[in-house]
Amino acid sequence: MTAGDRHDVIVVGAGLAGSLVAKHLGDRGRRVLVLEAGTRTLDTWPGHLDALNTYYAALAKVPNAPYRPNAAAPSPDVLDLEGLPSGGYRAHGYFLQDGPLPYASDYLRACGGTTLHWMGLVPRMHPDDFAVRADYGYGRDWPLGYADLEPHYRAAEHALGAAGDADEQREAIGLPFPPGYAYPMRAIPRSHLDRLLAARLDGVPLRETPDGPGTVLRVVTTPHARNGTPDPRHDHYRPAGATGLPNYGERCVGNASCVPICPVQAKYDARKTQAAWSHRVTLRARAVVNRVLVAGDGRVLGVEYQRYDDPAAPAHTTRTAEADVVVLAAHAVENARLLLLSGLANSSDQVGRNLMDHPTLLTWGLLNRPVGPFRGPGSTSGLECFRTGPARRARAPFRVEIANWGWSWPTGAPASDVARLLGIGAEPGAPRGAGLFGTALRETLGHEVGRQLCLQFAMEQDAESRNRVTLDPRHRDALGNPRPVLTYDLSEHVKRGIAAARAVSARLFALLGADDRTAYAPGPAAPGWYRFEGRDYVFQGAGHAAGTHVMGDSPATSVVDPWQRCWDHPNLYAVGCGSMPSVGTSNPSLTMAALALRSAEAVDRDLAELRRPLVVRQPGGSS
Amino acid sequence: MDTQHPATTAHEPPGAPPECAGFVELSVRLTGFDEFDLRGTGMVRLYHDTTLEQLGRAAVGRFLDDLAAAGGDPGALADEVSRDIARAITHLWYLGVWPSLARATHAALGRGTPNTAFVVSPEAWTEGLAWRTFHGHPPGARPPGFGTWADPPPGTPDRAAGDVA
Ligand SMILES: Cc1cc2nc3c(=O)[nH]c(=O)nc-3n(C[C@H](O)[C@H](O)[C@H](O)COP(=O)(O)OP(=O)(O)OC[C@H]3O[C@@H](n4cnc5c(N)ncnc54)[C@H](O)[C@@H]3O)c2cc1C
Ligand code: SF4
Repeated sequence: MTAGDRHDVIVVGAGLAGSLVAKHLGDRGRRVLVLEAGTRTLDTWPGHLDALNTYYAALAKVPNAPYRPNAAAPSPDVLDLEGLPSGGYRAHGYFLQDGPLPYASDYLRACGGTTLHWMGLVPRMHPDDFAVRADYGYGRDWPLGYADLEPHYRAAEHALGAAGDADEQREAIGLPFPPGYAYPMRAIPRSHLDRLLAARLDGVPLRETPDGPGTVLRVVTTPHARNGTPDPRHDHYRPAGATGLPNYGERCVGNASCVPICPVQAKYDARKTQAAWSHRVTLRARAVVNRVLVAGDGRVLGVEYQRYDDPAAPAHTTRTAEADVVVLAAHAVENARLLLLSGLANSSDQVGRNLMDHPTLLTWGLLNRPVGPFRGPGSTSGLECFRTGPARRARAPFRVEIANWGWSWPTGAPASDVARLLGIGAEPGAPRGAGLFGTALRETLGHEVGRQLCLQFAMEQDAESRNRVTLDPRHRDALGNPRPVLTYDLSEHVKRGIAAARAVSARLFALLGADDRTAYAPGPAAPGWYRFEGRDYVFQGAGHAAGTHVMGDSPATSVVDPWQRCWDHPNLYAVGCGSMPSVGTSNPSLTMAALALRSAEAVDRDLAELRRPLVVRQPGGSS
Repeated sequence: MDTQHPATTAHEPPGAPPECAGFVELSVRLTGFDEFDLRGTGMVRLYHDTTLEQLGRAAVGRFLDDLAAAGGDPGALADEVSRDIARAITHLWYLGVWPSLARATHAALGRGTPNTAFVVSPEAWTEGLAWRTFHGHPPGARPPGFGTWADPPPGTPDRAAGDVA
């Protein structure tokens, strides 16, 4: 360990959580070392354009399509999962999986992290979401509530540059905001499809079952971390543009590819926060942290990491760095992996457990008029009325996202439609249909794809200790680190939620006069297929890994305390969605960002405490 | 299809037929888009060459004969191999992707290349015709402007009415 490599704080991971923590601490004069496993090739404009071209040239436009594989810091990919002909799945790639159902989400290990390919929707959690065990009898409770997080929600909305309508969120969802609060930017305009749906659904009462609880439908605009129009009521907000190209990307221009890459970088990603880091923050990329070093008293000393040059042929050297505080911000799965590799923080036996996502049910159909699909951000509005209420006791609650990109998620439209109309089936050995050509093809395709409607029902998944990340020393990555094993399933509570969502979807399609084309069957593209109460379903992963270093109010039952500090190690923090005891129905990253900013304040206080001179002051004396 | 066309045509003599005239004429019949649209993609030469490369001159020649025999109507193609070639070229134009051929077609042509689908080039994908059929644009390749997604799509009754509500 070189004497020069000592820092106030080491942050592991330059993704969303780590970049925010580093920014906060650097701004307060702390010397921060950020160790990032991935490369920085995407930080330059040519590197960004290369990713864009890789995306264009990729046959499957999956979230990781633009990003080059990195053998030193491998990432899971949704293409790693293969459904079997009569149900079940097989997992290839980085994750090993042994659960009844597959964990179907990916992430990205590159500087900037998963925000490079996230959608950028940033709704707050509902106040009811923090006490689901106490109030609804499932999952785990938070040791804090909405009111504790509210100021940090505002700070996170500022840090990410959120665009939203606080009055609408308050009125339609019941979210408390301080009086007069305005998001940094005005709400991103609703899509034409949102407007069509609002015209037909707003104010309509709906019951899930004839004797079930009722609700009133309303299409509500979703908050985005996407550049729009600054709101003058929010202090002098200037949208953060692209990194690597000045004065660019300060407004979303409707490229409609937020997942997996925003060509103009109008969507927030962690590189924007990094661009605003003070000079006290040092970023070291191609540095895979593989161990947290700890002293006999439980305090951590620093980390060991593997530095490599070439992501294709990763020969590495092992190094160490020291700091007073270490903050793990490597993503829910990787944080758990790192704690397990180091054998730390696990006196509760909860490290890696409580793995959650927002299992998502897709339904799709054709509206009776053109909807203008494949335009604008992936989703601009949703139905928020299934997020809480008494029904939650019996089944998982859900948020309904209105998809702006046709059937691209469930069926791979429009490519799948072109193939189908030409008579090309998925199986190359099967006889092909006659096919349409010329004007008939052009018109039929336009007529069908132009009316595609898809709804995404994102379920709250309850924390279950059996859903977990473990390690298998027999299977290692190229740097010799054991690969993660995922054990995953859906609870009855979630499955009942999915069944309710299917019923709600049928009612919505009927109200919309839409021709329901939803179909679930096992097969290669349906690793998430299962049967429940005699019906078929297919769920998708949402990319929202959480719960793996769960927060609680007791060291006996949780990994981190309410400040995301490991109970077992007073100067080790684990930040990210891994700390969340429950995830509600909101996309989780805004809540995660709020928590990270709150923890950064705690780290700063810890450091101030450590630096306090050890002189005993005389009462009344001056110093 | 001008299969005799040399691979590089840096200098066309004045008055020479436009590039790949035969291929364009055939593509108009397959896709339902006119010559102006097809040439506007900038993909004519690349698709012409890809087709020859994937199928070979002999197969393309037989395909052209079959199409002529079908009165130029790809829907009337009787031979399954020729029909599959029609599917492939149309797929290429609509998505920028050369598809896998039917296993039987692949075998009948005795192709030496693997029968796998691929995106012909990054630009090819962004020039796919599929998006135009519903007044959309290829994701990540066209910035129509802030808020444009709120407008009704062109050519719909909603457009004339201004809005839906
Ligand atoms: C397709 C998709 C869409 C999504 N859309 C949304 C959305 O709309 N809204 C929302 O709220 N959330 C969304 N998410 C989730 C969101 O991306 C994550 O919640 C968020 O990025 C997590 O932040 P993080 O900082 O914890 O992890 P990451 O952003 O993944 O960053 C972790 C960083 O740590 C680095 N790292 C990993 N291991 C190591 C190691 N051993 N040593 C050093 N560094 C390491 C990684 O390379 C990475 O840079 C989406 C996710 C996906 C996959
Ligand atoms: S719609 Fe386009 S410009 Fe806007 S955020 Fe998404 S990808 Fe970027």
